[in-house]
Amino acid sequence: MEPRQLIETLAVAALFAPLFSAACIILATRRVMFKSAGVLATGVMAGGFVCSVVALVTWLGLDDTSPIVTNIGWIPIPGSEAGWLYLGVLIDSLTVAILAMVTGISMLVHLYSIGYMDGDPRYNRFFGYLSLFTFSMLGIVLANSLLMLFVFWELVGLTSYLLIGFWFEKRGPQLACKKAFVMNRIGDMGFLVGFGILFAKLGGNILLPAVHGGMFDAIRAAVEAEGYSMANPPMWLTMAGIGVFFGAIGKSAQFPLHTWLPDAMEGPTPVSSIVHSATMVAAGVYLTARIYPILTPGAHLFIATIGLITLVMAACMALVMTDIKRVLAYSTLSQLGYMVLGLGAGAYSFALFHLITHAFFKCCLFQCSGSVIHAAHHQQDMRYYGGLGRKMPITMICYGICTLAIAGASLPFTSIGISGFYSKDGIIAGTVNYGVAMQSLGSWGNLFWIGPTVVAYITVFYMARSFALTFLGEPRDKHLHEHAHEVPWTMTLPQVCLAIMAVIAATLPFLKLIEVSEPAIGGEAVAWMQPTEALGDAHNPGMHATHAYLLHGLGWIIMLVLGVVMYRPGMKYAEKIAAIPGINLLYHWAHNKFFFDELYDTIAVGVCKLAATIIALIDKYLVDGMVNLAGWVTRQLADAVGLFDQRVVDGAVNGAAAMATSGGQILRSTQTGRVRAYVLFLFASATVVTLVVVTVVLVSP
Amino acid sequence: MQLSMLIPMMVVLPLLSGAALLLLPSGGKAIKAHALIGTLATLGVSLLVVCRFDWSESQAIQMASAIGWVEGFGLSFGFGIDAISLWLVLLTTVLMPLVVLGSFSSVTHRFKEFYGWLMVLEAAMIGTFVATDLIFFYICFEFTLVPLYLLIGVFGGTQRLRAAKMFFLYTFTGSMLTFAGVLYVAWFNTTLPWTLFEGAGRWTFDIRTLYGSAQAMSHGQQVWVLIALLSGFAVKVPLFPVHTWLPLAHTEAPTSGSVILAGVLLKLGTYGLLRFALPMTPWAVVTIGPYIGAFAVAGILYTALICWVQKDIKKLIAYSSVSHLGFCVLGMFALNSVGVGGSILYMINHGLSTGALFLCVGMIYERMHTREMSRMGGLARIMPVWAFFMVFFCMASVGLPGLNGFVGEFLTLMGAFVATDVLGPAYAAIAGVGMILGAIYVLYMVGRVVFGPVVTLGPSLGDPSDGHGVRTDDLNWREIGVLSPLAVGCLWLGLFPTTVLQTLEAPIEGIIEPTRSILDGGVYGKGVTIDSDSERIDRDSDFPAARRVLVLFDTDRIAQP
Repeated sequence: MEPRQLIETLAVAALFAPLFSAACIILATRRVMFKSAGVLATGVMAGGFVCSVVALVTWLGLDDTSPIVTNIGWIPIPGSEAGWLYLGVLIDSLTVAILAMVTGISMLVHLYSIGYMDGDPRYNRFFGYLSLFTFSMLGIVLANSLLMLFVFWELVGLTSYLLIGFWFEKRGPQLACKKAFVMNRIGDMGFLVGFGILFAKLGGNILLPAVHGGMFDAIRAAVEAEGYSMANPPMWLTMAGIGVFFGAIGKSAQFPLHTWLPDAMEGPTPVSSIVHSATMVAAGVYLTARIYPILTPGAHLFIATIGLITLVMAACMALVMTDIKRVLAYSTLSQLGYMVLGLGAGAYSFALFHLITHAFFKCCLFQCSGSVIHAAHHQQDMRYYGGLGRKMPITMICYGICTLAIAGASLPFTSIGISGFYSKDGIIAGTVNYGVAMQSLGSWGNLFWIGPTVVAYITVFYMARSFALTFLGEPRDKHLHEHAHEVPWTMTLPQVCLAIMAVIAATLPFLKLIEVSEPAIGGEAVAWMQPTEALGDAHNPGMHATHAYLLHGLGWIIMLVLGVVMYRPGMKYAEKIAAIPGINLLYHWAHNKFFFDELYDTIAVGVCKLAATIIALIDKYLVDGMVNLAGWVTRQLADAVGLFDQRVVDGAVNGAAAMATSGGQILRSTQTGRVRAYVLFLFASATVVTLVVVTVVLVSP
Repeated sequence: MQLSMLIPMMVVLPLLSGAALLLLPSGGKAIKAHALIGTLATLGVSLLVVCRFDWSESQAIQMASAIGWVEGFGLSFGFGIDAISLWLVLLTTVLMPLVVLGSFSSVTHRFKEFYGWLMVLEAAMIGTFVATDLIFFYICFEFTLVPLYLLIGVFGGTQRLRAAKMFFLYTFTGSMLTFAGVLYVAWFNTTLPWTLFEGAGRWTFDIRTLYGSAQAMSHGQQVWVLIALLSGFAVKVPLFPVHTWLPLAHTEAPTSGSVILAGVLLKLGTYGLLRFALPMTPWAVVTIGPYIGAFAVAGILYTALICWVQKDIKKLIAYSSVSHLGFCVLGMFALNSVGVGGSILYMINHGLSTGALFLCVGMIYERMHTREMSRMGGLARIMPVWAFFMVFFCMASVGLPGLNGFVGEFLTLMGAFVATDVLGPAYAAIAGVGMILGAIYVLYMVGRVVFGPVVTLGPSLGDPSDGHGVRTDDLNWREIGVLSPLAVGCLWLGLFPTTVLQTLEAPIEGIIEPTRSILDGGVYGKGVTIDSDSERIDRDSDFPAARRVLVLFDTDRIAQP
């Protein structure tokens, strides 16, 4: 088979593999497939992983690296130039890189779940949903058009709803899954508005920009037709970019729609580990990367600002959480903030590279936390842990390695580090450039690089904190500690694999692939953005010498040691610090997640619900009341008419009869039957008539 | 057999089998079997029509014929079918056997009346969709009221009499005004010179002829006709704020009644708007359209909010119908092929998914004897199969891509978005908020009833039979058989909407052509071009129609292309 065709076939096979296992598991009854569901799903997923690795290797050997595109008409749009809204496949080097990452992580999560979900009454169902979830994410990765992306985008929303609410008998998961879905839907509305703007301007040609002659060319034509240029873009293009990015705000849990992600850990831990790494939150970043060429400078500024706010805010919250999964959840938020900021600031390649490296170490961290929770009888509060490292050495080592990875650890005074170091550093370098370039913002522009740099150290500190509280020191809950044990191999093996990936990811060709995929914008639009070449050698590891990273090598060690020393004995130092007046308020504020939930619950939900109640009453009493009033008025009118009919109309008829009767009564008295009386009447009448005639004759002239 | 006989067969077959029901002994089994066979036979005939329909000419009225009645007065029973009608007929004939099958266990008395009236209802509904003649349309349109009135009034819930009365009076009042409007159009036709177009200047009730008649009216006249049409059809849809009969009728109706009401009868309203309002009064539609769109958007949000605070699950779905039909009207008044196509698809989608939701709720009602959401919960644990279908149809109704609801919702929103000459982005964006609210109220309901802790309390407090006779057995094969075809339909239309959409392109072009030509600048009526603004203002004044027609024929005023 020709290599390009082979890649396409393999990618499509990898896409449909999880759908196949999901269909088998969901449609088969419990009797046919219960225990075997886990093995089947994991096996099929492994097949998908092999397919995508082969596709990746084949792609690396290709000479022609133009995107592979297949468009299939889905919804006809009569009268438009494109004629159709398309579904289909778009494969470029970014696709193959992300495809390999998603299938790999999904396979490991499936494997991990075999151990973790053991004994659950809906064990088989879980694997069905998990595979469906992976299928949806792969659909996003392979999407050729904004429409197809949106379709799978929504499917990710549904399957995450099912997975987060998997233990639906409990109140918490049920609320969390609803919150996730609704928050995502709010983002989706923005997506649809952005989509609508593009649809209105491009008449349905919404194929992704990487497709040659796709949306980007159409947009350029539309922009130029209106007398603008890509350097001076029209407002609608900025709005379209921000609108579509709003979808990413929802999925990637950026400020202000971030509140669902920490709650989403109500789902089983394997779900958290995949949601926080390879799927769902990755989807938002991926979408932003896919629409990258249509983002105007205004949209870039918006995106960078959102990313900056998120990464700072989430890091502050992560500092004070005591639930091990919550710490990780806020660290995810913060790292996603890095990626979004990176994309906004023009560090396209490193932002996406961070997506991949982060996926490995965050998935591992969540799996380790899951193992700890599994071992600790579902106790998630780190204050009850301590000293677990002795009971769970493998888990501790994996967690430790990934802590270093998320911290961006490097050897002091060198540029050798593990994966997180390269990716995060690239983003910070990009933000420095961006901050300098944004002269219009004055000194505020500096926030764009000061923020991520400071947060990088905070990250080291809170990760060291969680590591020390969990694995080091003396056991704080003896009973819990005694029963703790290392988890089975199905759970440790994925952890180890992921930890290895977290170390070596930077040596794999991911970064190279992503750099190739960076949209070749031959335009003025992003000239300020200082694309790769303009930064000189900034984008290879040698760049670190040019920045403050000589210090960083020491800095992260200092923060790490500080975190370990402070939290090794438990929370006692922290509690003292938190009791200091002034800091206690800050602590309280951060501990309550900046009161976002309360804010949304009272203002957004409360007001809407109040409005709903009032409107329901209006509908019942006013709108329906009008109808009833109309009915009542008609009824009264009918009564009145009835009365009129009875009294007046019928009365007239009766009156006529009565008059006839009484008239008859009167006249009747003259009918005596006596001849004398009749003769008298005759003469009397004759006299009267004669008199009248004579008078008339005399009087008339 | 002649091809044109297929359509009258489709109408007469359910009537005949309904009549034949009366001859059967009053035992339940035979009647049920007979009703099922009758509806299935009708489905068969409709499938035959689908096979013989010439899809390449989907805009043409096919298999047309007319049965004379009072010829001199232009009265006849004209019928024929184009792609729009055909899909709606198919929706009806597919739903009916499922409704009959779904009623087997819920109806426990008066079998003859129940199934008999169902058959009559089917005949009337099909008749409405295939009529090409106003009088025939109107007879069928009105005749749907009688069977449903009886179905609600006899087989309904505790407030059934009030519901049935309100349903009947409300919709009847509206449609009387509609009738007056169309009579006016027919009369107006007689005043036109016979040279104007084929069929002008005499009494006729042929719908297509009357298009020309109404189009020749002045703007003011068209507005009155449109208002008359709206007063009947908007009530039927129902469009906010004339919707209040619907929640009551739905809640009190038996399951079968609700399914037919939501599935087909509401579509008579939108179908009427599509068939009459758009082509007949294009001028008025263009000027009044934004207001109708505003009412649709207001209705979407208004009823979605109401859904949120409902305690009665059936009422929630009923109100959600109003919200959904708002999207349908919004897309229609976008007056472009995207919006109208989405609107028609929405009619079919809504028929499938909301009909199925009512069936699901009916199945729960049979078991729990309650519709109150606080009296049930966590049913996924004890009734997984039911929960699967419930969540599936909820997702279809929320507009999850891959299921049918999405395509319709998406197209109506996009249609409204791009229709900057009538509606525009603001309408679409505000209606989009309805999407969020839709997700909220449906998930609230699903979270309450399907997920969460198991609750099987049954009838609400105060009811003496509290908790008595509550069953929690999962769906049986018959019930799965009822829901599965609908699920397949939802999935099919979600994945391959082209099946329907492509056949609709041509008929939609025909329907929006008059409005489109006004919007696109002046081409109006029978190929007459009005090229200046002053001409438009001139035409706006209410000078006598006959004179205006002369103006239309004044060749000096016809602009050269």
